[in-house]
Amino acid sequence: MSETALTVGTWLQAFFTIVLVSAVFKDNPLYRFAEHTYVGLYAGYGVALTYFNYIRLNVTTDIAKDGKYIVLVPIIIGLLIYTRYIKSISWLSRYTICFQLGIGSGYVLAKDFKPFFVDQVRATFLQLWGSGDWWVDVSNWIYVIGTVCSLVYFLFTIQKKGFQGRVSMVGRYTMMIAFGAAFGNTVMARVSLFLGRMQFLLGDWLHLIK
Amino acid sequence: MWEKLANVDRRWIYALMIFVIALALIKPIGLAIVPSADTQKVYDIIENLPRGSIVWMGMEFSAGGIPELMPALQSMIRQGFKEGRDLRFVCAGMWQMAGDMADQAFSIVKEEFPHKQYGVDWVNIGYKPGGDVLLQQYQNSIIETAKGVDFYGDDLSQFPLMKEFTSLKQAELVAIFCTGTPGEKEYIKHVTSPNKIPLVEAAISVSIPECMPLVQAGQISGLLAGMKGAAEYEVLVEKPGSATAGMDAQSFSHALIIIFMILGNLGYVFTKNKKES
Repeated sequence: MSETALTVGTWLQAFFTIVLVSAVFKDNPLYRFAEHTYVGLYAGYGVALTYFNYIRLNVTTDIAKDGKYIVLVPIIIGLLIYTRYIKSISWLSRYTICFQLGIGSGYVLAKDFKPFFVDQVRATFLQLWGSGDWWVDVSNWIYVIGTVCSLVYFLFTIQKKGFQGRVSMVGRYTMMIAFGAAFGNTVMARVSLFLGRMQFLLGDWLHLIK
Repeated sequence: MWEKLANVDRRWIYALMIFVIALALIKPIGLAIVPSADTQKVYDIIENLPRGSIVWMGMEFSAGGIPELMPALQSMIRQGFKEGRDLRFVCAGMWQMAGDMADQAFSIVKEEFPHKQYGVDWVNIGYKPGGDVLLQQYQNSIIETAKGVDFYGDDLSQFPLMKEFTSLKQAELVAIFCTGTPGEKEYIKHVTSPNKIPLVEAAISVSIPECMPLVQAGQISGLLAGMKGAAEYEVLVEKPGSATAGMDAQSFSHALIIIFMILGNLGYVFTKNKKES
């Protein structure tokens, strides 16, 4: 890529970065322009990429060259979704939705159950004493108690009073601690995002840092 | 005074945050970065792979994940390509910018590892639509699933690496770089769990709480947590980069947030007490 193209690209990046960040101070027309540009660019890029890297190859390779005309069946079923825009035949789009729901449900039942239910439950079967490291034993107790109490919290068919109420309260506090940790991580992620942009502005654009 | 603290105009907070981050980047003080156990585990897993192993790299992120994931990705390439390791990488993804991210990551190879060749040591398949169905199909035939072409439009069957690596099941390790869905869950259910292939992940900080149960269950063998994990990994690989450079700024910005949270809560408590009295 030529030096001029790189320079123009850097300045454009800097312009859009500053304009998008300006929204936190005050909403302004430049911010709206940048926002719309980003959305349009991303959508257009996705469409172009999918067409050139996949759709065109499917047609030229699978259908035209290899003669796999069976591929036309799912293509037609997929295209039926666009009949939603024509009121008289919009009922045809239900076939596409039915296929998607059926495949999606089948996938979830077949694939999700073991890794995200069975294996997760199995992971709570922990050694609670005698591991040789007292901190591991304590951690395992916290893990098991937190998991059980959090699950008890979601037993809505039993009134939360007495022993069940106290156990639910422990579950509630466990979840609050988890949400606090999640919030802290979210803050860290957003700061990191902004850091990346500041590194670009100060480094690549203004050359104030290496 | 407490009322003012409880109702500080947020634009002052943003301005102060920008100032603190800029100052920390221009004049860093070099706070120590000590690799955590999680990061060390990822490093050890890569280090213990047999020489010449093929690693599948899942580029499940877009430009928004670059600050946190690109340093980790480039560090993994450096560790894999160093003398005596000679790992080989095949990059692909379910996200649209997968190919661009891989291209940017491997741009360091020309300067740092000039003897490494595209097609022999690494291949960039890029993005192909299909979501997690794609992962299933990659296990049958990579070339067929990718429609025979890589990210650059070149014929995949011409590359020596792709003549040897025909199915995702042959990978010694799956290393994914994720910012959301589709991501680690799709790899776990379709690839690593059924085929017992180890999985390491570099995830953005916001995904870490979600990933920890998977780490605890052993479904993710090693996890690089956001920019901090990337900085620690850079320290282990002995090549500091943008993640390491950003750690001071991140520490100071977090300290600023904590100070404002404390002041804000104090302001709330004292104004509440004042109103009640």
